[in-house]
Amino acid sequence: MPVVPGMTDLTAPYWEAAREGRLVVQECQECHVLRHPPLPECPSCQRQGHGSRLGWREVSGKGTVYTYTVVRHPTHFAFADKVPYVLAIVELAEGPRLVTALTGAAPEDVRVGLPVRAVFREVADGVTLPYFEPDAGGRHGTA
Amino acid sequence: MIARPVFRKEVAIVGIGQTAYAKALPGTAWELAMQAVLAACADAGVDAADVDGMCRFTAPFETATEAQLVRGLGIRELSWFTQAAHGGEALGAVVMHAAAAVSAGLASTVVVYRALSQSKGGRFGRADGRGPGPGSGEPGGDIVVPEQDNRSFAWPYGLMSPGQLFALWARRYAAVHGLSDEDLTRALGTIAITQRRYANGNPSAMMRDRTMSWDDYRGARMISEPLRLFDLCLENDGACAFLVTTAVRARALRTDPVWVLSATQTISPYREPMGIYTSGELLELFPPDAAGRLFSQAGVCRADIDVAEFYDATSYMPLRSLESYGFVPDGQAWRYVTEQGTGPDSPLPVNTHGGHLSEAYLHGMNGILEAVRQLRGSASNQVKDAEVALVGAPAGSAMILAR
Repeated sequence: MPVVPGMTDLTAPYWEAAREGRLVVQECQECHVLRHPPLPECPSCQRQGHGSRLGWREVSGKGTVYTYTVVRHPTHFAFADKVPYVLAIVELAEGPRLVTALTGAAPEDVRVGLPVRAVFREVADGVTLPYFEPDAGGRHGTA
Repeated sequence: MIARPVFRKEVAIVGIGQTAYAKALPGTAWELAMQAVLAACADAGVDAADVDGMCRFTAPFETATEAQLVRGLGIRELSWFTQAAHGGEALGAVVMHAAAAVSAGLASTVVVYRALSQSKGGRFGRADGRGPGPGSGEPGGDIVVPEQDNRSFAWPYGLMSPGQLFALWARRYAAVHGLSDEDLTRALGTIAITQRRYANGNPSAMMRDRTMSWDDYRGARMISEPLRLFDLCLENDGACAFLVTTAVRARALRTDPVWVLSATQTISPYREPMGIYTSGELLELFPPDAAGRLFSQAGVCRADIDVAEFYDATSYMPLRSLESYGFVPDGQAWRYVTEQGTGPDSPLPVNTHGGHLSEAYLHGMNGILEAVRQLRGSASNQVKDAEVALVGAPAGSAMILAR
């Protein structure tokens, strides 16, 4: 049975975009800083007292593996038939990082700095998660 | 930053107590907590009825409540009690709060306790709250992860347990500092095997009778690469407790009080315990400022520390703790550990009770008890003439104790 994200008003736009095959990251419309996961207000603009206007920016979906682990022992019954799987933190070309899993990569071929790109998988009815796969044409990161 | 010693010789630990540690013990967390508190009171020569303060981790980490203990032990009245957020990553916090309360005169005899009954559910290594075995299936339907502390961005991918998270840290450490898989294996294995040897000399340790060779270590199955089975802590039942009191009362109670020189807690953006670290350098989630406060408030330096008990949910954490507390420069602990080790003859013996890897897992509390024994001169693996000890979680929540 799939494990799916519960959504709040704050996080729903991220998952709604994923369902449309788009990767989006929260962006402050005042100072243009990107943040993931989203926050209720832009901390710096809010602190400076001129409020913040938060929106979402569609990003390229390209990035590099910041770190990863090959999970061989499941810690939840929902993942018992998924091992081994490759958990990763991916650093997007635009800067922010996100937790994801890699697909289409043999565990022994994964390394920190591996160029990857987002792919979208429907894991449950109406729920799509962004995963990442090796991007042969991508630039190796220095992460 | 406060530069003066805040608790120096004002607050002391005067009693320690623990239950047996085992995979499964009879009794609830409540009962285990009471056993440990009574043992700590007996050790201090204090009537449990006279306890007037309590400090513990927040639920869901700690399930035994103050109300249960007051009722169960016949404590007359608590004039002060509180809870510190998070679990073992906030190990220093429970001591900091207890010491602050004693120092401020809000209570004079404070119990700090931790009780775990993982055998009755809630194993930390099982995100679904279950043990292995049949019946681990569930009727169909999606499992919805409520959004809390960014969990909804991690759990759907299967990032659900501390071991997986620390595997991500360890891999990042290896990549940033240019370690080969073999370099990392040797460093982590040295820590795991050294701690097992300490446990073999500690009658209270769950692994007292189980030796570990390099073949055992390397041959153990990978759980979450690069972490093998023996890089991960034990899961068990048990409880620890200790008594914190004023200098005057401490001197009246015993000749060998252990002084709380300093204790810290810390939190900053994207450095939340068990967070998903989407900003900043992952390896800097161990904040150097907190370590600086720890030493400056205690009025001691690194060279004064005779023994360290580092929080070790995984073998990676003592490794990085050597760096984050300033004993070894960043990026060099793997080499230091491989060459010098953390054993009894090393420059800084670490986790002399066997730690969470080989004594038992009590959210760091058993490390505090071990530090007290070391400073009293009564530890199973006694470090000669130990006078100052550091007990610390890797995220800067720690304490310095002295005899």
